[in-house]
Amino acid sequence: MKLAQTVLLGLLTGGVYALLASGLTLVFGVMRIINVAQGALLILAALFTFEIWRRTGLDPLLAIVVTTPLMFGIGWLLYRGLLARVRAAPEAMTVLLTFALAIAIEGIMGLVWRNVFRSVTPSYFASSFHVGGLFLPKGLAAGCLTAAVVLGLLYLALTRTWTGRAIRASAENMQGAQLVGVRVVDVAALTFAIGIATTGAGGSILSILQPFFPASHYVWISKLLGIIVLGGMGSLPGAVIGALLLGVAENVTSAYVSPRWSLVVFYVVIMVVLLVRPQGIAGSRLREDVVA
Amino acid sequence: MRKFRHLPAALVALALLVAAGCSSNSGGGGGGTSKPLVVGASLPLSGDFSQPGEASRRGYAIWQDMVNKNGGLLKRQVQLKIVDDASDQNTVVSDYNRLISQDKVDLLLGSFSSLLNIPASAVAEKAGMTYVCPSCGSPDMFNRKFKHIFFAQPATAVHQADLFAQYVAGLPTEERPKTAAYPTQDDPFTKPVVEGVKSKLEAAGIKTVYSKVYPADTSNFDTIASDIKAAKPDVLVQGAVFEDGVGLVRSLVKAGFSPKAMFQTSAPSNGDQYSKGVGVANTEGVFYAVSWSPAAKYPLNQEFLQAYQAKFKGVPEEDAADGFAAAQVLQAAVQAVGSLDQDKISDWLHNNKVQTILGPLSWDERGAPQQAFILAQWQSGAAQVVLPQDVATSQKIVFPKPNWGGQ
Repeated sequence: MKLAQTVLLGLLTGGVYALLASGLTLVFGVMRIINVAQGALLILAALFTFEIWRRTGLDPLLAIVVTTPLMFGIGWLLYRGLLARVRAAPEAMTVLLTFALAIAIEGIMGLVWRNVFRSVTPSYFASSFHVGGLFLPKGLAAGCLTAAVVLGLLYLALTRTWTGRAIRASAENMQGAQLVGVRVVDVAALTFAIGIATTGAGGSILSILQPFFPASHYVWISKLLGIIVLGGMGSLPGAVIGALLLGVAENVTSAYVSPRWSLVVFYVVIMVVLLVRPQGIAGSRLREDVVA
Repeated sequence: MRKFRHLPAALVALALLVAAGCSSNSGGGGGGTSKPLVVGASLPLSGDFSQPGEASRRGYAIWQDMVNKNGGLLKRQVQLKIVDDASDQNTVVSDYNRLISQDKVDLLLGSFSSLLNIPASAVAEKAGMTYVCPSCGSPDMFNRKFKHIFFAQPATAVHQADLFAQYVAGLPTEERPKTAAYPTQDDPFTKPVVEGVKSKLEAAGIKTVYSKVYPADTSNFDTIASDIKAAKPDVLVQGAVFEDGVGLVRSLVKAGFSPKAMFQTSAPSNGDQYSKGVGVANTEGVFYAVSWSPAAKYPLNQEFLQAYQAKFKGVPEEDAADGFAAAQVLQAAVQAVGSLDQDKISDWLHNNKVQTILGPLSWDERGAPQQAFILAQWQSGAAQVVLPQDVATSQKIVFPKPNWGGQ
């Protein structure tokens, strides 16, 4: 019983983590940009949700239809305004730039929303379904379900539409894509915007799960980077597997060993996986020498 | 001649400086003959601790205004000399060295945080000056056998929650809880508090059924709550900073487990950030301990609130009240001794009790305070002081805690 409860909670948490990590892995896969600002944008989306919920009382999960296009727009502007300029620069430059961006966003959030904790508490935020002795937190279940829908849509868009194919082609071989007529620069802007748009849904879900304030993004970016390294940088199914693994590992360790060890265990798993499979669970090995 | 073309300007500047120096020497004092009494302190006004550092400065400033309005200290006007140590240990040491040896200040007040007060108090001790600090509760502060340091809060971390432990242990046998759980964040400000309660409740025969430490960045409390639910403790004592306190309450509500009594260290003291985070109806009956409460009926507390409201707007932070209290302690000792003899001031503090807005304070031979924090409880959506009884704002104590949602 205890094991079932623990694994259930772990899978639900993992589902939400998967959505949060999806944008990060997509952007890395296509553009080789490690977007350190992803966590800060996530908190920004959570604060937007808070603002919408406070002013209109709209359900935070419905607010996704507002936050997603909003974050898409912000992502597009960020790419056109800032990131397009370091496209040809080494990957380390993108880390520096997005780290600066993360700190700037944190500062702006502090000025606008002040450094206090915000909570979004719709009627169901602290209630559960009780099924045969197990409890299923409603907010977490709804969040996990929403995450699954968004991830499913994203997966279909990537595999079944021409735009999606162009994105994947750019990810696999940029020069090849250019040769067959894909406008790689436009695809890059679009991909970055989609990657940031996932924080819209992610932030709205996150807002009902826990209180947050501007500096909360540090915890998230380190978790999300861990997930995509484990799953294979750039792979969407990899991010889902990595996220579910993190969710279950965190919860099982916390219940059977000690909460103190839960993150340690996750990072040990990453180290072991990387020793055996350096490209991550679902990552593919690239011939970096000829691709470059 | 070209060489001296700046000479007239330099002379004017010199004259201005001299004039300014004279006026600052004669100014301030009501009588004109006595120099102002200078109280020196270094505070973290920038850097990591800038927020609480600024709050401490405000507490000192309110005290200065109130003392001067009432005729000063030893019939001299008080002048604060506060410098910024940028939350840096090296800077705070050089700051206090300069205050003592170059500025030759008459009295000292402490800095904010144990991190800064530990090195700074060593400078004061070497110079033989009394050092009253508003926040220096770390055990490392008191294991050096210093004679001149005093921590101006009611208790060190281990004793913060004494009133809660005594209350629970003192319940009639049939009502007294039999088991307890102790989850705590891995944090220097929460762990000793929880350990303090645990040792007292265990001594009272209350069995420990859960005791675990979780790391600072734990964001998901569902599993911890489900574990605690399985252990079925009567009392739940959590060492909670903030998000973790809100997170555990939410997860306990979701898991459908409500203990008979619940105590959290500092999370519930965050006013509406806390009540909005857990939902107002879920706050009912939650206990916490604080060094100061705006509602407590200690002498001068209301005057302090009013003066703060007039000068800075809003309700003072706990750190501002602690700063004010530290200055009150120094003032009481200086007035009682009637001079600036630092040895006598320290001796007096070791042997006497001082009335402050945090309640009466007294110290052991190491300068560690010997009282307990105020015990507060959320009742009907508002924070109330419940113990000690003479300053309580609510005459009832909610026990057993109702189920979540107040039912």
